[in-house]
Amino acid sequence: MAFSGNYMCTSFKKELLYGAHDFDASSGDTFKIALYTSSATLTAATTAYSATNESSGTGYTAGGGTLTPVDPTASGTTALTDFADETWTSATITARGALIYNTTPNTTSIALTNPAVIVLDFGADKIATAGDFTVVFPTADASNAIIRIA
Amino acid sequence: MSAPALEALPIWKVDVHTTSGRGFTPEELAERCAKKIIAISDDANPAIRAQAHAFRGQLLKTLEFYMREAVKSDRTTVYNALTDAGQTDLAKLIRRL
Repeated sequence: MAFSGNYMCTSFKKELLYGAHDFDASSGDTFKIALYTSSATLTAATTAYSATNESSGTGYTAGGGTLTPVDPTASGTTALTDFADETWTSATITARGALIYNTTPNTTSIALTNPAVIVLDFGADKIATAGDFTVVFPTADASNAIIRIA
Repeated sequence: MSAPALEALPIWKVDVHTTSGRGFTPEELAERCAKKIIAISDDANPAIRAQAHAFRGQLLKTLEFYMREAVKSDRTTVYNALTDAGQTDLAKLIRRL
């Protein structure tokens, strides 16, 4: 089975300690979300974006869509950040999962190219046919936000 | 005594919404929007949970109304743009949607 759950990539956790990722909404890095077929093998060990087994179809460009980040914040003792939902319109796409990655990391202290952030498992193939395909991120709070550090 | 640990918390499942042969309706988008604005925990106090559900229901109706208004208003803009471009038949088609 290609996808086995949602993961915060291990390499991303290390890169946070190198200061490689900036989630500021206005001046931060550019994060993208790429869609993948069920043939893709993405796990916590995934370190970077790859076009292998990436979804394709009308309305979808290789590399995926650019995410709109939300400024990091804190709730209680939990720090969190979020992205606006991403939609591919007038699209014909089949995807089983996705990878969020950073296209403009800070490489001052560590060499990186399109480093992976999060692997998302949709649980089953999701299909849009001449329609819209939307990835809806969870509520941005301390219990649900897509990226949380406690 | 152990050192403080920084923990990356588990990632919740994202939702994926798709359509075939159409876009999302105002009702579908309003539902998603209301859930984004007001998350209601299953573990919340029952009285507070009931109040939150009632508030979200009211919010949903307002969102649906204004999303439908936005669609109608945008069609007016598209209608005028097509009419200005001499595409009157196409403009009428848009207005009838």
